[in-house]
Amino acid sequence: MKYRLTLDYTVPEGTLAPYFDALRQGRALAARCASCGTTSFPPRPVCGACGGREMAWQALTGRARVVRRADSENGAFALARFDGADELATVALANPAERQAAGRLVAPPDARPGLWLHLENEDDDHA
Amino acid sequence: MSGVVVAGGAMTPFNRRKDGSGMRDWARAAFFDAVSDARLEARDIDALVVASESDFFTLQLNPAALIADELGLFGIAAQRVEGGGASGHLAVHAGAAMVMAGRARRVAVLGLEPSASHLPGAAVGALYGLSFDAWTDGMTGVDATSLYALSVQAFMEETGAGQDDFAAIAVRNRGNARANPNAHLPLDIAAADVAASPVIAQPYRRLDCSPLSDGAACVILAGAAGLPDGGAGRARIAGMGVANDRVRLGERARPGRFEAKGVAMRRALAEAGATVSEIGLAEIYDSYSGAQLQALDGLGLREDVVRAEREGVFAADGALPVNLSGGLLGQGAPVGATGVAQVLACALQLEDRYFGRRVATPPRYALADTHGGVATLNAVSLLEGAR
Repeated sequence: MKYRLTLDYTVPEGTLAPYFDALRQGRALAARCASCGTTSFPPRPVCGACGGREMAWQALTGRARVVRRADSENGAFALARFDGADELATVALANPAERQAAGRLVAPPDARPGLWLHLENEDDDHA
Repeated sequence: MSGVVVAGGAMTPFNRRKDGSGMRDWARAAFFDAVSDARLEARDIDALVVASESDFFTLQLNPAALIADELGLFGIAAQRVEGGGASGHLAVHAGAAMVMAGRARRVAVLGLEPSASHLPGAAVGALYGLSFDAWTDGMTGVDATSLYALSVQAFMEETGAGQDDFAAIAVRNRGNARANPNAHLPLDIAAADVAASPVIAQPYRRLDCSPLSDGAACVILAGAAGLPDGGAGRARIAGMGVANDRVRLGERARPGRFEAKGVAMRRALAEAGATVSEIGLAEIYDSYSGAQLQALDGLGLREDVVRAEREGVFAADGALPVNLSGGLLGQGAPVGATGVAQVLACALQLEDRYFGRRVATPPRYALADTHGGVATLNAVSLLEGAR
């Protein structure tokens, strides 16, 4: 038998709405734990280091260094450390033909969630 | 110790179905063969635990009720368990817990998944992306192979493991699968074939990756008192452990190490009252060739798993044979059925009646290890042979 299912989700973003709003503008908004100071990006509503539940938004520059990358037929992805963040983040590379080890956050294509990093030379100034 | 007996079990072939049969057919085949293997009748079953990873794959919500109905089981306790790649193994734990709590006498644990035949591979891959953090990872289009590749790159850097080690595993597991009549990829290949297969995401090539499979597997769990012969000669589940890790790889202190497996393993060992040295057989979740080494490392089965791998410890004739079934790489991976089949393989090996490549001498304990995500949700069982 054949059966075609087309789904069109609308997903409320809840507590993380400010993060997603910033992301859609290409800005990095992290969460800083009031208890231990850990800065998480992507942000966590509950601190992954100490379990603290009092988190404050903290803007980051959006610049990041690529720690590892994997290129596949679905795109190029990396573990990257954003300036000011205490942990690595999984990112999709917006310009995978480039091989630089640094980049900056850019707005995701089609307003999709997820972190997209545009690779560029470290001394490039895109502020 | 749990005292839960694996009274019997059965599985269908794992492969990409081309014979026109469907998921409901596989469920019936695995269930009735398992009941027969347990020397019971279907009416003896008073609980059913169904494992299936995703309604997107099955196109069937509330699958436990549907499958119970399909099997002609009514008035029984039925539930569905899901935990990504670990779904089947977690279902075994749920079934065992029912027996241990006295809430059921004989539980059928039935895992199934039409991972290959229902949807195009690209659609399955896109859905698998949502089994990580959908909001931060999945919606970028990241695929499982890329995330596993990022993880194993760190493992390689820290341990010295190389692509040659991974190729050896890919070859060996496919070779073990050649003795398994239910295996999806029973291949006679060499390391050069792995190296010549297309790169999927560095360091992984096509032959380093497990396939998408269709199939079902079922085990019957019971207390000895619930079996006509007291479960004589059958293996039992001696210890179980589950532990989760951070979903987002980058938040782990060591993204290359499957550390939560160690937590689950220690729980299972404590429950069984066993030690690592008493384990003489393992079915390991080798979704990728390198993941097998990462799992063995995380479980703490050897101090230096790379060295052990190169010394042949994990070969069929080694001190700790791993994946004699072929593992996911060789036997295949219909997700909900995978963990059930791993537990079944361990039980049958301990009973010296496994249908594939048998361990030379059944050990006291066999280990089944399964996970969802990139070792995000980890389930471990220690099975003990009858003495």
